[in-house]
Amino acid sequence: MRAFRDRIAVAGIGYSPLTRRPERSLASLAAEAVDAALADAGLDRRALDGLATSPSMPRYGGAKGTVEGIDVVTPWALGERLGIHTHTRWTGSTNGMVTQAFMEAAMAIASGVCSHVVVYRALHVPPGSYINYENRYSVGPEQWLAPFGFSGPPSWAASVVKRYFEMFGYSRADLARYIVDNRANTCRNPNGFWRGKPLAADDYLNARMIADPMSILDCDIPVDGCAALLLTSTERARDLKRKPALLTGFSAGTHSPPTGVPMTLDDIWIGCEQVAARLWEATGLGPSDFDTAQLYDGFAPFVYLWLEGLGIVPRGEGLAFLRDGHGSLGGKLPVNTGGGALGEGRLHGMTQLAEAVIQVTDRGGERQVPGARRAIATISNGLTKATAFAISRDEGQ
Amino acid sequence: MTVESEAVLRPLPLGDEVSEAFWDAAKAGRLDIQRCRACRRWNHAPSLACPTCGSEDLGYETVSGKGSLFTWCVLKEAPAPGFRDMLPLIVAIVELAEQPHLLLSTNIVGAREEELRLGMPLEVTFERVTEDCALPQFRPAREAA
Ligand SMILES: [Zn+2]
Repeated sequence: MRAFRDRIAVAGIGYSPLTRRPERSLASLAAEAVDAALADAGLDRRALDGLATSPSMPRYGGAKGTVEGIDVVTPWALGERLGIHTHTRWTGSTNGMVTQAFMEAAMAIASGVCSHVVVYRALHVPPGSYINYENRYSVGPEQWLAPFGFSGPPSWAASVVKRYFEMFGYSRADLARYIVDNRANTCRNPNGFWRGKPLAADDYLNARMIADPMSILDCDIPVDGCAALLLTSTERARDLKRKPALLTGFSAGTHSPPTGVPMTLDDIWIGCEQVAARLWEATGLGPSDFDTAQLYDGFAPFVYLWLEGLGIVPRGEGLAFLRDGHGSLGGKLPVNTGGGALGEGRLHGMTQLAEAVIQVTDRGGERQVPGARRAIATISNGLTKATAFAISRDEGQ
Repeated sequence: MTVESEAVLRPLPLGDEVSEAFWDAAKAGRLDIQRCRACRRWNHAPSLACPTCGSEDLGYETVSGKGSLFTWCVLKEAPAPGFRDMLPLIVAIVELAEQPHLLLSTNIVGAREEELRLGMPLEVTFERVTEDCALPQFRPAREAA
């Protein structure tokens, strides 16, 4: 795996607007993001010979949107729309997190199958309640959850937080500083959904409770939109418009979540630790080698659980680390400097990857961590399909 | 039953070949959990093969119904139309007494939110939801577990 080190680079970043209820189709937003990533690198559609994503539409209970171009944008449909299907050599469509598609794209380049691959994540927010279990019967894994009302991620996450709070004596007040700082980071990010909307600690403490202790402000913000990253070889990237960000290594987790119950705190710890151990093995790096950390925040508690799982702090101390400001800009290890999914928008880890690239290429503007050489990005919650990436500044040539 | 009245009910479990014995037992007021006949490990949710030893020789046995509170949360918004009249709803994970980390999703009944604490002893009780369905629920244990 170390032979792979720094041979693949991210050479372009592209975003569509991240908004709610846009007039445009998701396919149109996806095409805009891909074109933006190409333009960022100084390329056009003719250069592109690979596309990869995870097109799944997250919705729990009831109708699951699957209409091509509206609810999902598969690489096949996007290739047609971009007019590149004639020369596309590979498309990846991983059922899981989009970051698994990112790994496959990197391997497609490393193997020589492709020269330039765009990894994108396009998401649509369907009308109605995101979580509303409308089915009369629950079958398969849902039979153990839905009859008890345990049918949506906020309640799963809340049950993880409750155990954590009870074990270590924390409360929601301990997270307020992180939430406020994170929103401030978002306000420095031109792509952020919540830019221009700073938050105070009281806003967090008085936020609408969904599943106590999980409030609306502990959840990421669902958006319509797309982010895209252009991957190529490091060698080719050095001739393109932007300074590249190097993929030093990655890892994926396979720790099985429990069955019959939602994810548990104990299993998230074990899973995060597994992903971390594999990343250290793949890269030769360790928990103290990073200048900034972009940690998955589909739900806020995952941020401190990743700090613990990565070994940056011991179990039980992640929330204190955030409470004491060590994750702030200017702190020991600035965390989610672009606002993450809580502030920038739900793009399932693309936020974290894009921000890691931005930081090691000095493109962070007001939110830049001075001279950041290495960034770690972690995606998902540590259980199966969780991933981690080490992204480094290009100091070669 | 009209469509309208169905909409107000909470989602019902639909058992399958592997799980129907669990739901049949609940209907009869018993908590039966799958157990491997080869390695004797308890297993929930039930599966086709034992996740510990891989044996396909699995059966169900009745457990004590005792457990402890592993974690919980309190729903302030209905997760389905049928829960609208049940808020705030305490959803929980119970660790059954038979084996460490033998976990079951459930609701806590007969206790107020502020009485709950990690590890508190619980016991099973069954809530009949329809003529054909009963759900295992947990309440504070009446005697020491
Ligand atoms: Zn066994």
